[in-house]
Amino acid sequence: MTIQNPTRPAVSPAGGSLSPRARFRRRSAISDLLVVIAWVSGPVAASLYLASGGLADVKDVGSFFTALGIVTGLIGTDFILLMLVLAARVPLIDRAVGHDRAIGLHRQLGKPALYLILAHAALLLIGYGMSSGFNPIAEIGPMLALPDMITAVVGTALLIAVVVTSLVAVRRKFPYEFWHVIHLLSYAAVLFALPHQLSIGGTLADGTVQRVYWIGLYVLAIGAIVIFRIAVPLFKSWAHDIRVQQVQWISPDVASIHLTGRDLRALGAGGGQFLIWRFWSAGTWWHSHPISLSALPTDRHARITVRVLGRGTRRLTAVKPGTRVSFAGPYGIFTDAARTSPKLAIVAAGIGITPARALLEGSQLARGEATVLVRSSTDDETFLWSEMRKLAEARGAELFAMVGPRARNSWMSQHDAARGVTLRSVFPDLDRSDLYVCGPQRWAEAVVADARAAGLPEHQIHLESFEL
Amino acid sequence: MRRRAAVASVIASAGVLIAGFQVGAAVTAGRTTTSSGTGTGSSGSTAGTGSTGSTSSGSTGSTGSTGSTGSTGSSAKDGTFNGTTVQTPFGPMQVAAVISGGKIADVKVLQRTDQGGRSVQISNQADPMLRSEVLQAQSANVSTIGGATYTSEGYLQSLQSALDQAGFTG
Repeated sequence: MTIQNPTRPAVSPAGGSLSPRARFRRRSAISDLLVVIAWVSGPVAASLYLASGGLADVKDVGSFFTALGIVTGLIGTDFILLMLVLAARVPLIDRAVGHDRAIGLHRQLGKPALYLILAHAALLLIGYGMSSGFNPIAEIGPMLALPDMITAVVGTALLIAVVVTSLVAVRRKFPYEFWHVIHLLSYAAVLFALPHQLSIGGTLADGTVQRVYWIGLYVLAIGAIVIFRIAVPLFKSWAHDIRVQQVQWISPDVASIHLTGRDLRALGAGGGQFLIWRFWSAGTWWHSHPISLSALPTDRHARITVRVLGRGTRRLTAVKPGTRVSFAGPYGIFTDAARTSPKLAIVAAGIGITPARALLEGSQLARGEATVLVRSSTDDETFLWSEMRKLAEARGAELFAMVGPRARNSWMSQHDAARGVTLRSVFPDLDRSDLYVCGPQRWAEAVVADARAAGLPEHQIHLESFEL
Repeated sequence: MRRRAAVASVIASAGVLIAGFQVGAAVTAGRTTTSSGTGTGSSGSTAGTGSTGSTSSGSTGSTGSTGSTGSTGSSAKDGTFNGTTVQTPFGPMQVAAVISGGKIADVKVLQRTDQGGRSVQISNQADPMLRSEVLQAQSANVSTIGGATYTSEGYLQSLQSALDQAGFTG
């Protein structure tokens, strides 16, 4: 079995002719704009209420609670729709901030959104109750008699289930599939909540600008999901017709899966990007895996490399040649396109070598522009290092290897930590470098912490963490 | 860069909220002038939605249309008759019927539901539409206005009680 070496000096798709600096400015402008739009959508939701003249209705404590309840409902729903958009893998968002940051914000919003929705229900029970002289519990009956309230309550219950199963502590107790199926219910939760918003609340009453805007938000969020999570991946999977060519073991627990397909260069995958793969064999079809390309695709060939860590990845490495593969992506900005500085510094450990290798391969580099440090605890974990060495040679990059057990409180080997190696001694031009870090989560975070301590600004740090 | 985004977010948010407040104030002002024409003390006149579940609880002594006066349609008393106040979770709803020559001459809104943020568009649309329907049909038994179902129900229920007081049987 031969390891396929791509023949073509690859050009990053998002590269263009702009300098890293200019590209960075453009990207951060888009990123900032998206951040502003995301946060301002909350106040806009509150403003829908204000613009409907809602404040004039606040005359006593009861109506005050009612007003507060309406506003929390609007903002909470806005957050939930925002979460859908963030999870939709919209190319614009992925290119600007990266899939992982989008998902990070998605996760952060989960609990606040749920709290707002629960507050919405509680405040309105109090507010309506006070207006009609009931206590909030007695108000539950009349409240449920309002149109579309039953579906709204079901939607809220689903939302609670989705958020609770996503809490880190709870999520660990269940298999991924369980979480995933529950999480799919969030679409139902969102849709169930819609009718009562349109039929009860006056803010979104028929014939108002508010109603048009609100339905627009729903169309945007659901549309993004349908297009980018379903339609585009389906179409691309069909068009590129990817199949397993062979599974090649390159270390006791690491295998490269070679894939064949049609016109794979047209995927526009940049070195360092990942795709979300689904292998259509009996034991694997119900589980998708985000896996980085370990080499840039050629027209007919692509390669991913996986480490066997559990049952899922074990099954993955057992797929037969010819197995059909569907995918979504490519995603991520652990690529040349995220460069901001003249020099390139790469630190990779373990299976993190895969995107690092593709990144090096996909970067247009001047001689001496890039420096690479590969790290492993044992000699068994030096898979793909020989390829890395050849690539570094071809790209005029300097390559350092660091093998040996990890030192306490450091990401380095005991030996190197003891002899005083630092980030700066490995990368003398650190301040003028983009530092790309890829490896196991804790380890990668230690590298990033070290880089921050060395004064490297945030935009020069690029992290791809592997939880797999 | 992140500071830039934060500052822009805060400024934009403030702008959006102020704009919303301004629009709301303008809407409210428009509403007040409209409702002052009906000569009621109701300041906030957003039409609200009454739930069927709670209207029954709050409506005060609807006399019912059992025909207790025993009079025929033409024997309705002339005058202005205030309907009962129909309680909804969004606030009270009350109309008055003006009977002249044994016919419904006008319907005046005394109190509109004023909570729940039901927008002024609804209120401004629904009330005149209901009024003209009622005047044409000479009855409180008209269909409700689409999109303002609960406003309509409060309106018509209050109107029916006013008609009952007038001995108006259509």
